[in-house]
Order: sequence, then structure tokens, then C-alpha cells
Amino acid sequence: MTEELTPTWEDVAHRYGRKIYNFAYRLTGNPDDAADLVQEVLLRVRKGLSSYQPGSFDGWLWRITRNAFLDGIRKKKRRPESALPEGDHHDLGSSPSPDEVLASIRLSDDVQSALLKLPYEFREAVVLCDVVGLAYDEIAEATDVPVGTVRSRIHRGRKLLRGMLTWPI
Amino acid sequence: MADLIFDPDVHGELFSAYLDGQLTPAEVIVVSELLDGSGEAIQEFLALRRVRTSLRLLPEFEVPAALLPDGHLGDRLSAYLDGELVTIEHRRVTKHLVDCSDCRAELQELDRARIAVRSLPGVDTTVTEEIAATPPLHHGRRRIVAGGLGAAAAAALLVGLAVGGGSDPAFVLEDLATHHVARASAEPGFAVLPAAFEVSAP
Repeated sequence: MTEELTPTWEDVAHRYGRKIYNFAYRLTGNPDDAADLVQEVLLRVRKGLSSYQPGSFDGWLWRITRNAFLDGIRKKKRRPESALPEGDHHDLGSSPSPDEVLASIRLSDDVQSALLKLPYEFREAVVLCDVVGLAYDEIAEATDVPVGTVRSRIHRGRKLLRGMLTWPI
Repeated sequence: MADLIFDPDVHGELFSAYLDGQLTPAEVIVVSELLDGSGEAIQEFLALRRVRTSLRLLPEFEVPAALLPDGHLGDRLSAYLDGELVTIEHRRVTKHLVDCSDCRAELQELDRARIAVRSLPGVDTTVTEEIAATPPLHHGRRRIVAGGLGAAAAAALLVGLAVGGGSDPAFVLEDLATHHVARASAEPGFAVLPAAFEVSAP
């Protein structure tokens, strides 16, 4: 039974290594810290897989990832999108316009700099949501806070970013 | 129902969660009404959407390849030889060995070393105990072992004599492997390699 549900650590490395690396990179802006985190997480996964109980693997993995990240700092420091009800909302969907996409790509260095200025809790929630792609309940499990807190942190993080970024469009 | 008055501090969070598809159907209706009733709400919504888009379009970096396993078995081979892998893992390793000549070769090397270590003769402790019980000789400042050998070196020499019967105490791995082969033939089941991975003589 667990053969189907529990991956090997090599599976985890190949399936999640890039996400873990990008998570740490966006939180720290530092490729060396990101590489250190990948190594540490894979080590912890390797040790922990034997005691892993099949369940929310993502929640389990990202809790390990987050704890490893915080330990590292201490040493140094979706559901399907709901459609709006019928109505005339022209440009108000969740999909960005082509101009927004182009502007966002040009902005990536500024976005990274702004991310690093966010308080840690907001930065973590935003990165787990927008970079890693976790749903709110998965972020809640990984960070050990209620879903409502996750929702609030993501919004407050984005709102702070909005104030720090200038838009070329 | 009374018209909703948009308050960014109260309702902005709904917009973020809407963009993430994390609202209940009732909350989606609230968002719709807010956007219908306020230009300010629309501006807030668009600004949050721009931020979210910027975050989601951040370029994704490739993880350095050196951080990821290369697909070979590495230190699991030793555990495999020692029968320490659980059944599922054992099957995975066996399957990999069928396909991977590199790991098969490494397994053979490991098995030779393992055979050598396991074939080391046991130490006859009675000999060393008898020696240890012998009162030391005190002729002036002379010691039982001449030449100023330390206790560890002396013990090693005694063990070598005990197990080697006075012959050259320097063990040769190939000789020990021969011991193992003899033991394996005398004790069915002693060999641990599966039949498919018989180690051929070098």
C-alpha cells in the first residue's frame, strides 16, 4: 500500500528539488543559501521517509522545508478558480492581460528586491502561494497557522509589495 | 440587501483570495457586488492582480544538478548487501541493478570488501587474557616488549600472533576472500548476493 503512496527520496529530489530551490532563492535572494537548503531538506526527507505516514505529502514536505529553512536562518539567520457570477466585469478576471505579463517580466529584479523587504511571515506566505503554488490549506499545514491567517498574510504581503513597486504601464 | 461600501482594509483580502481561487461561493458573490459598485474597488483589484502576476511570472531557476541524486544507488548498495533494505526498497534496488552495469560493478566491489571483512578469523581471547594475567617482569626499567613499543602496538602484535599462529600477521584481502568462498560453500545461505548478481572471480 505504502509502495504506491510513499515516494523514495530520489523521487522527492527530482520532483521537488527545483521547487525547494526556488522557494529558498526567493526567500533569501541567495543561490548558495538555496543550494544549502536543498541539501538539508533532502537529508531530512531521507531520514524521515521511513516514518512518514501516507497523508498530505506536500504538507509534510513543505513543513520539513520550512523548518529546515528557519533552522538555517537561526544558525545565520488552489482550489480551481471560481468564476465571477454573470455580469459585466470586462477586464476583471484573474488572468492578466498581455501588457501586464510583459511589465511583470521586466519587473522581476524589482520584485525580488521588494520580496526581501517583506516581514518574514508575509514573504513566506506569498512565496509558498505564488512561487511554489500551494493552496491556502497546504500553506496552513506547512506553516502551522490557521487558513485565515494564511489568507491575511498573503494579502498583506501583496499589499506591501504593491506599495514598493512602480508599474511601467 | 443594502449596498456594500468598499473598504480596502476590510475587503482587499477577499480580492487576493478571489484571485487565488480560495473563496467560498458566498464570498465570490460579495466580491462581484463590490466590483459592481465601486471604481475604487476595481482599482484595488487590478493592483493586487498586477502584484500577483509579477510574483507568479518570476523566472524559475534550475536546481544545480550536483544537488540531485544521479540515478545510481550510492550508499544504498551497502545496505542492500547487508539485507538492511525493506522489501520494497530491496525490489527497487534489484530492478535498478538489472539495468545498470555501473551499479552492478560497484556492488561487486563492495561485496568483495564485505567478504574480506566478514571472513576475518575470530580472535582467541583466552590467549590475550592469559598474557594479560601474567605478572609483568621488572628487571630494572626493562619492559616485556623491547624497543619501546607502546601498549597498542604490543596488543596488535599479540593478536596477530594469536590468530596467525606465528605466521606473517599481515592479512591479504584476496586470501580472506578465499576464506569466504570456502565458508559460502560450506554454509548454504551465507552468500548474500542474489543469484542474478553472482560475483565472478576477478
